[in-house]
Amino acid sequence: MRTVLCYGDSNTHGQIPGGLTLDRYSYEERWPGVLARELGKGWHVIEEGLSGRTTVRDDPIEGAAKNGRTYLRPCLMSHAPLDLIIIMLGTNDLKARFNQPASEVAMGIGCLIHDIRELAPGPGGRVPEILIVSPPPMLDDIKAWEGIFKGAQEKSRELALQFEIMADSLEVHFFDAGTVAECDPLDGFHIGREAHEKLGVALAREVEAIGWK
Amino acid sequence: MPDMRFAPPNPLRIADRASGLNAVSVRSYNERLVLSLLLQKETTTRLEIGERTGLSAQTVSVLVRSLEQEGLVARGEAQKGRVGPPTVPIVLNPEGAFSIGISVGQDRTDIVLINFVGEVRFHATLPNPEAARGANHSEFLDTIRQAMALLPKKARERLAGVGLALPYGVANGRDDESHFRALQDEIEEHLGVSVFVQNDVTAAASGESLFGVARPLTDYMYFYLGARLHGRLVLNHQIYNGNSPVSFDVGVAALEREVARHGLSAAPLVEGSGDWLAYGPHFDAWAGRLVDQMVRSLEAVSQFVEFETVVFSSYAPPQTCREICERLEKVFPSVKALPGRVTPSPKAVGAASLPFSSRFMVE
Repeated sequence: MRTVLCYGDSNTHGQIPGGLTLDRYSYEERWPGVLARELGKGWHVIEEGLSGRTTVRDDPIEGAAKNGRTYLRPCLMSHAPLDLIIIMLGTNDLKARFNQPASEVAMGIGCLIHDIRELAPGPGGRVPEILIVSPPPMLDDIKAWEGIFKGAQEKSRELALQFEIMADSLEVHFFDAGTVAECDPLDGFHIGREAHEKLGVALAREVEAIGWK
Repeated sequence: MPDMRFAPPNPLRIADRASGLNAVSVRSYNERLVLSLLLQKETTTRLEIGERTGLSAQTVSVLVRSLEQEGLVARGEAQKGRVGPPTVPIVLNPEGAFSIGISVGQDRTDIVLINFVGEVRFHATLPNPEAARGANHSEFLDTIRQAMALLPKKARERLAGVGLALPYGVANGRDDESHFRALQDEIEEHLGVSVFVQNDVTAAASGESLFGVARPLTDYMYFYLGARLHGRLVLNHQIYNGNSPVSFDVGVAALEREVARHGLSAAPLVEGSGDWLAYGPHFDAWAGRLVDQMVRSLEAVSQFVEFETVVFSSYAPPQTCREICERLEKVFPSVKALPGRVTPSPKAVGAASLPFSSRFMVE
């Protein structure tokens, strides 16, 4: 049995576009559930999606709990040994309060990769496979969220390139979610049921392509 | 001193590369390793690449993604096995790169355009260019220009280069190696494409090893039947040239003389078509001498190396090649004789394989 950890934000949590905070797709509908279905019996899929999670930043408004870096360590230790860690983060780092360019968000991703390597939570204390997924770009119309994400739309379109550069530099797997899924027009930055399905299927193919004995 | 882990990212490759082929200089050794594997085997997987190269799964992932984006390789459909996890094949993209091969023979020049998996997309035979007095070798320039003009525009951007296969002796007594080099420089300067020049029989052997029956073979004896008979020894995929350009007068020219002596038309021999076996006793007599000569070479070589396979290549019709192979196996039963699969012009296709091996493979 192999184990994969899906580490992400509201789009891994399965928050319903345009819904309330507590509105969540069912396990079968969320991409980690789709991934589990596609990979089949040989895989144990762990969901770790938190709305508002950033890569490495304490959120002055939402609180330090949203910092993806501080939570990652205990999370990895809880679930070790892990064969694969999929990270899809970055959208929340684009909030106006952080005032960061896409390249700095990618630096945050790089930081998480270094932390995983340092902890080496893979089988036998080895470094697990790491798959970085850049989130689909935001739509121009993000409704009431315009203020919170002021200027984020353009930066969100740069994430894929910046993440890929980081993934190449640190030699980890990479996938651009924007190639298979789009954000839902209901709020412009969450992904809908169909996008979860497509993303889960595409990631299953990516996981298989890594090659496992 | 800053923590270098958090220095600006330094990618292995340029993520947002434009379309078209990478410059030669930035093709990394590891990318070449992966492409070599693919050029030697029809399909592979990332797992297998990792096992054969010793690179980590993540490094292989970066390399393959880079080659995918460049359009050189493509990912196949996942294969679900009865046991074990599914495997995802990786194959060369046939349209990923093109190459032009030109083989200059005694009285004609063959030009081929091949794609990345060695399929011949275009083949033409031209009379040899006239060597202008005083000019160096500009006669090739026009031929190559013509061949390039035949390429569709899309393919022109993905042209890996031009391979030129020349027989020994064209240098008119000068050193062949330095003559080839001078020629290469001249053409590159005038046409701005990468040019690779090699001896024609060696080129034909490369073509057969990259795209033909010899692909899975490591050690074998290669024979090329042209106007004369030529041989090359291949050990561990390495083609040995030998020091002397020895060839034997038991080739098609000998058959032509035989046929002409009996007042028969030699047209099928010149064109490499028709039924050569129809020459009956003349064919038999000639084939006997040809096979004898091959056996002598095989006996000489087998004093030093053991090999089980002979690859026999020619522009002669496939039926003729099969017949010669059968006759050779009969007299020399310890080897398996395989007719070459690279057609219609093994030398030109071989020439076209040179830019691929030079630009995409490890030594």
